[in-house]
Amino acid sequence: MVIEQVNGNELAARRTAPVGKRDFDSTVAIRVRNVSKSFPGVQALRGINFELLSGEVHGLVGANGAGKSTFIRMLSGASQPDTGEIEIQGSPLLFDDPRLQCDAGIAAIYQELTIIPEMSVLSNAFLGQVPSRFGITDRKRMLRRFGELSQWMGLNIPPDVNAGTLSVANQQMVEILRAVQTDQNVLIMDEPTAPLGPYERDRLYKLIGRLKESGVAIIFISHDLDEVLNLSDRVSVMREGLLLETRAAAKWTKDTLVQAMLGDVQIVPGKKRNHATDEELLRVSNLALPGRLSGLSFGLHRGEILGVAGLVGAGRTELLRCIAGAEPAAQGSMRLAGAECAWPQTVRDAIKRGIVLAPEDRKHQGLVLSRSSLSNLMLADLHAVAAGAVIDRGKTRAQGEALARQLGFNSKRLDTEALNLSGGNQQKLVLGKWLNRKPRILLLDEPTRGIDLGAKQEIFQAIRRLSDDGMGVILVSSDLEEVIEHADRVLVMARGRQIDLLDGRGATVERILNLIFAVEGRANESGADR
Amino acid sequence: MSEVNALPAPPAPLTASWRAQLPTLIRIYGIILTLVLLLAVVTIGNPAFISPQNVFNMASQWAPAGIMAVGMTFVILTGGFDLSVASAYSLCAVVAAYVGQTHAPAVAFIAAIAVGLLFGLFNGILVAVVRINPFITTVGSGFIINGVALVMTQNAAFLVDNESFGVLGAGRWHGMPYSGMLLMLFLLVFGFVLARTIYGEAIYAVGGNYEASRLSGIRVRAVVASTYVLMGGCVGLAGSIAASQLSSAQANLDPGIIFDVLTIVVVGGTSLSGGSGAMWRTAVGLVIIATISNGFVLLDISPYYQSIIKGSIIVAALALDTGLTRLVRVK
Repeated sequence: MVIEQVNGNELAARRTAPVGKRDFDSTVAIRVRNVSKSFPGVQALRGINFELLSGEVHGLVGANGAGKSTFIRMLSGASQPDTGEIEIQGSPLLFDDPRLQCDAGIAAIYQELTIIPEMSVLSNAFLGQVPSRFGITDRKRMLRRFGELSQWMGLNIPPDVNAGTLSVANQQMVEILRAVQTDQNVLIMDEPTAPLGPYERDRLYKLIGRLKESGVAIIFISHDLDEVLNLSDRVSVMREGLLLETRAAAKWTKDTLVQAMLGDVQIVPGKKRNHATDEELLRVSNLALPGRLSGLSFGLHRGEILGVAGLVGAGRTELLRCIAGAEPAAQGSMRLAGAECAWPQTVRDAIKRGIVLAPEDRKHQGLVLSRSSLSNLMLADLHAVAAGAVIDRGKTRAQGEALARQLGFNSKRLDTEALNLSGGNQQKLVLGKWLNRKPRILLLDEPTRGIDLGAKQEIFQAIRRLSDDGMGVILVSSDLEEVIEHADRVLVMARGRQIDLLDGRGATVERILNLIFAVEGRANESGADR
Repeated sequence: MSEVNALPAPPAPLTASWRAQLPTLIRIYGIILTLVLLLAVVTIGNPAFISPQNVFNMASQWAPAGIMAVGMTFVILTGGFDLSVASAYSLCAVVAAYVGQTHAPAVAFIAAIAVGLLFGLFNGILVAVVRINPFITTVGSGFIINGVALVMTQNAAFLVDNESFGVLGAGRWHGMPYSGMLLMLFLLVFGFVLARTIYGEAIYAVGGNYEASRLSGIRVRAVVASTYVLMGGCVGLAGSIAASQLSSAQANLDPGIIFDVLTIVVVGGTSLSGGSGAMWRTAVGLVIIATISNGFVLLDISPYYQSIIKGSIIVAALALDTGLTRLVRVK
């Protein structure tokens, strides 16, 4: 590869300014031509064309699932496009090894932190690129460079404490420092400000300004549209795997951005249902989880599907976990079918009251992958298929087949290990496990994530049938259209708080996004509960 | 975005040709093949191997390790480990011998089992409730238990001069040893518990995925702790049998027995990472290990080679298992 290397000896020359000025062969840092990528059941990217100029901050926005993460994973070499090509400063990108990407001059900061909590801040900052002399780590050099960069970034983090003891915001800053210290030409930042408070955000904005001055090209992804518009030179909008439009930031407004993110798709409000009865099944008042959630109050009716909308990190999963008894620190009061009761402190507590959770992470929290489908279906209520302590195999099989029919699960697969099933079938098992217990309240966290269309429909058919029979359902999904299509009412959340509770008939994707992005201002913030 | 995070795994074919399934079949049943080959070699080398006399002697001789392997199967299936069994085995034998000197044998054995259960509970609470790593917990409790036994005996052997004390370990009915029958009973009863009861299902679930089991409403801590208690009970009975066979006991009865117990379980194919395995596998592992040891004597091979060959068979069995697991997964 003939790529301008900005490592090694040149580092020494640049020591005065920790991040050097660059001389460029070309002003185009990255050029992407007609790149497509599909995953089983989803076309994640469709014919993307994109240009990143040197010294530019390029904002990238789009709703959840628009393909932003897939796109940047591709730029950083973590996954390979099906078709199309990517050039980094004139040389084609090779897809073998993330380390090669590093040589190619790209550093990325992902949404999920990659800090190793047990290691020191210093070790984390130089992870994978420890300066060494004859194989012995050069601690002096590390400390000096860390000091320079900290000063330059306006940080004051001690290098020798364990990274795990830092606040999430400071961990994020270490992560950014790590990306900066590699001294790359292109920096990709995926939601870097999500965990940061206003003060740290300010520091990051300044840092981005300085990096830009030194010639680094930056791709900046954020759900905070104000931030994107203020920081970026140009902004591109993605939707449904397409890169729709790139304009100079000055030519966008928040409204036009939201418009472009949503497209002209009119959400079919005709199918609106309102099956909820007047009978209140569950009332949550003043639910709080220290540091994560505060002041949530809402009711759930018999036969109702209550949607919960919000961005990643808004506290949707925590809300469900609190109700399901999985968060012992939760505070609040609960009325169940009209009777006041203590907040459930354990999962068993909640299950006894008929409240069950189908978690987002099927593989780690939902299923025992090494066991058969049948075993998984019976997991939550073994007593129902047992005489005394002994499991009745005939009863188990009959029950399993009945559940399989109900969920559209191929009963020939009942003896297959859960490990070998598709995401859709795994989700059916998680649901089936709980249906077997006939719960009163079903909490669904991203039930359709990574699932193909057919399975999605079967899952929602099952959920609707159950709610028609009187079960209350709380549905969390990043797919807003799905929430609107299926929910009787929509609880809108942001930053751990309840923003609004919309009637299903009045809810549109636009309205919800406007609420979330506070385009409508913050008038409804107190969370009117109807 | 969301669709990237959870790529659906390709569905496994419902019917695959036997050729394609061969690695899977070997992985599941290969250990039986190993056993059959081993039995054939030893039997051809010395037909006395399958004489009832020899089989009964082996059953009696391997009863303590086999009974402890039954308990260990439960512990390992939940993803745990118990290294304190060698010390506890000696302590229980010492308790049986000590009580047996002055009381009826039944009282002595019940006392030994009670001590085993008690230390099992101790381990169980530390592992499941305090949540210390089982490896460290049981190394530590092993030292404590060994210390208790040394203090009790002052490192001398307790001799029991009472003929009826020997019935449990050495008594026979029509040539069949009671201890061997107890071993069979344990394998059958606890095999059934594991395969067919709610408790057994919970053991597999907790070992396979602790968090998913917890979120499904299984009492995960109680399940994990109970396996150590069961282990303790098995150790108590094993210690009683050993004391009865020898009519004596001392603080360091057989420190190496822990390796026999672990080997029996693991060679059978029960996974050390928990969640997968079975009692029939432990039974097969037991017969393999017993056959290797006994076969050396019958085939008149120098015992010096025994360790080398025993070790090779163990490593080979595990390598085969791991290699085939990877092969099956990759496909």
